[in-house]
Amino acid sequence: MSRIGAMGVLSALLMTGCLRPAENRAVRDSKVGRAEGGGLSLEVADGLAAVRSVGSGEVTLWGNAPVFTARATLDAESTSDWVLTVRNAMPDAELLAELEDGEVLAVEPVPQALPTVKAWRVGLRPGAVARLRVAPPGWDSTAPFRFAALADVQEALPRVGDIYARLVKDDSLRFILFAGDLTENGTREQLLEFQERLEAGSRIPLYATLGNHETFSKDAEEYTTLVGRGSQSFVFQGVRFTVVDSSNGTLDPIVEEQLDGWLASSRQGTHVVAMHVPPQDPVGLRGGGFANRGESAGLVGKLAREGVDLTLYGHIHSYYSFTNAGIPAFISGGGGAIPETFDGVGRHYLAVDIGANEGLREASLVRVD
Amino acid sequence: MVSELSPRSWPLAVAVVGAFLVLPVRALAQDAEAEPLTAFDLLARSPQLGGTDIPRDLPGRATVGAPRRPRMPDATVPMPDLGRQSPLPAPELLRMESPVPSPSSELLAPASAEAAASVSEVPMGLPAPLTPQGRPDSPLSPLPASTTALLDASRSFQVVPVAVAVVPGLLFHGLAPALAGDGHTAKRLFAMEGAGLGLIALGGVPIALTGASRRTIAPLYAVTLAGFSVFGISALANLYSVASPAFDPGVPASSLPPLEFEMGYQYVSDTSFDYDHFVSLGAVARFEEVKLEAIARLAPDEGNTQVRLGGAYRLLGEPERRRAGSDGSSLDAELFGLFHRFPTEGFTVVGGDMGFRGRYAMSRVSPSLAGSFAEASIGMALQGYSYPGPVSDGNLHSQLLFSFGYGVWLGRGGGPFKGEAMLFYDHRKDGFAGGLRTLGGGVVGNFGLRGRALLTETWGVAAEFQAGGALVGRLSLIYALGGES
Repeated sequence: MSRIGAMGVLSALLMTGCLRPAENRAVRDSKVGRAEGGGLSLEVADGLAAVRSVGSGEVTLWGNAPVFTARATLDAESTSDWVLTVRNAMPDAELLAELEDGEVLAVEPVPQALPTVKAWRVGLRPGAVARLRVAPPGWDSTAPFRFAALADVQEALPRVGDIYARLVKDDSLRFILFAGDLTENGTREQLLEFQERLEAGSRIPLYATLGNHETFSKDAEEYTTLVGRGSQSFVFQGVRFTVVDSSNGTLDPIVEEQLDGWLASSRQGTHVVAMHVPPQDPVGLRGGGFANRGESAGLVGKLAREGVDLTLYGHIHSYYSFTNAGIPAFISGGGGAIPETFDGVGRHYLAVDIGANEGLREASLVRVD
Repeated sequence: MVSELSPRSWPLAVAVVGAFLVLPVRALAQDAEAEPLTAFDLLARSPQLGGTDIPRDLPGRATVGAPRRPRMPDATVPMPDLGRQSPLPAPELLRMESPVPSPSSELLAPASAEAAASVSEVPMGLPAPLTPQGRPDSPLSPLPASTTALLDASRSFQVVPVAVAVVPGLLFHGLAPALAGDGHTAKRLFAMEGAGLGLIALGGVPIALTGASRRTIAPLYAVTLAGFSVFGISALANLYSVASPAFDPGVPASSLPPLEFEMGYQYVSDTSFDYDHFVSLGAVARFEEVKLEAIARLAPDEGNTQVRLGGAYRLLGEPERRRAGSDGSSLDAELFGLFHRFPTEGFTVVGGDMGFRGRYAMSRVSPSLAGSFAEASIGMALQGYSYPGPVSDGNLHSQLLFSFGYGVWLGRGGGPFKGEAMLFYDHRKDGFAGGLRTLGGGVVGNFGLRGRALLTETWGVAAEFQAGGALVGRLSLIYALGGES
């Protein structure tokens, strides 16, 4: 009987795992940006940066948003001199450090060779709580801007420099919004290589969600450690960007609840939503979208009701322009993974002009090859 | 013998077996047109392999030409000495020769002198398809004692082949019957597995190379899924072939009621939706070649409502109202309309399905698979989503419909009990089960088990379980009108 019971429990667990395959990642997301070391306790708001290291007077973060804040609590006995390094930062990012009472702390930039790596020497107050904000000038304006949408590099990682070289030619691009599948298998080595090539080749940062290929290794644990959350939301120049983890062809209920909050907070503003697996594959016979068409229809209907202005997807290695529930939608999976043939597209990215007041202005296909 | 092959020899072995089947030579004893046996046939049937060249003509088995009638032993013709391979145990032969009509001899008696003359052409010892109550044109009957004895003599349940059918039989589909001494079935299943893998490669490799191109995906996808279906069917047939000696094989119901009503309960566990409890309603009306169906699923508390209306036209095979001894193989053209309202999520789906559904009696593949069938369907759905309020979606969404399954007939031909059960895969993603939420996204459909049986002339039950992105369970009561057969 005990064996039968064990089999039953195992079956139930397997079934539960099949029903909510993204649950662990959603739970893990909530821990991103939190770390302690060297007497410093750090908590990045909304998990918009991953803590790569903390201790001995140094903190290194991997930014996953152009603007983020962190709460730093320093022990009374700890050293006050700290160096904060933010990789994958906006090239013109600045650090503002202030105590809870509004007192501004001294910050000294530390020159770096790479444009997306920023470092500052900051004097924290032992025994006090400091609020750190990393953002470029004008981050809270409503001026229109341009960003690039890209997805699906995978096994083309050795050639991704071509895309960065093309991106460099457009000075107006502020950052890359990446809709998943950075690597082929999501291993630590592959993700580190992706980040090294990004820093070496790109002058702008890349903010990402994960793709199904990242889940191939330890259910994307390395992605969470090295890059950050799979589902998150940030605001830049009045435009809200939300990325959600759809890599299993579904949204976990935890993510859906978070999404509801992000949608409500930007109901009147411009809102871009990106995810890896599109809810609806425009080629229905292929069915490369969500696992349940009812779920996908419900999701895009909700996005439309909440006034989302643009949806961006990956997973399908080509370029598609369509609408879902009336929202302009683009699949831009031109990062170099096995390309869809006979489409006449090849490697590409999308250049998107958007503004807080104007909404989506233009989305242009930019060919790399 | 097959198991002694080294792993590197498997591809060669599969190729050799496949080559034997390229020009299929049916066994002399099983064909109306006698042809010489191949060396492989003889080897596979050798007693050393536990095989036998005794045909196992079971109810539901495909026959070529006019049904053969049972033969009365002719006392003037000397019986061949078949030794221990004799298809009929001695007591049976003695009963048949007895001048006193016994139940079994009555069953085997020819209907007329002409019939006796015609059946005299059947080779001695052939247990031709048995006819019930001695009437050649009657539907198939439950297995009489003589046939049961015959089956017992030629097939016996063995534990080891059943275990092998699971591991490594799920990968080597002819292995289990080969171990059980059934070389004929083994080579057929190896051939099916090879064909399935070939189709998977034929469709799957181009899909990978073309990056699932929108220009070519539909036919390539269909070929790939067909490959998976053949592979899956041969895997289950592998298990069935060695498990079936443990029970009498079922037969297709000779007729199904003209009208059936169904009412039951459905439970859905889906983390993406609020609904869970459903009332399940259904109706089936069977005419000659046409079958009409109506299905409704209603969630009283949440309001989700699914209605499916449509029908099927029988292109090949006997109508379900009068199958009359056919083996149940058929091909239908189907057309269905769908209405599905999601009040909580705020949208409604309206669409239509069209496609073909075929069922194939596995006894045509091998007699040891009698009582089972394979089913496959292919088609396309076109659907539109309607959102109340300012949201509009003018897209017409298409969907590839594909399913396959392996089933068994539950009835034995006698009495009112008739039904079937089937393990299946369904590729459609717009049902309550949806598709599996996998590492590859939402490409894969769902798996399930469904059964349906009439327990009396008028009452029956239907049950279904599906596992995809959601878990779905359904239990229904069936009321049949005009179910007497």
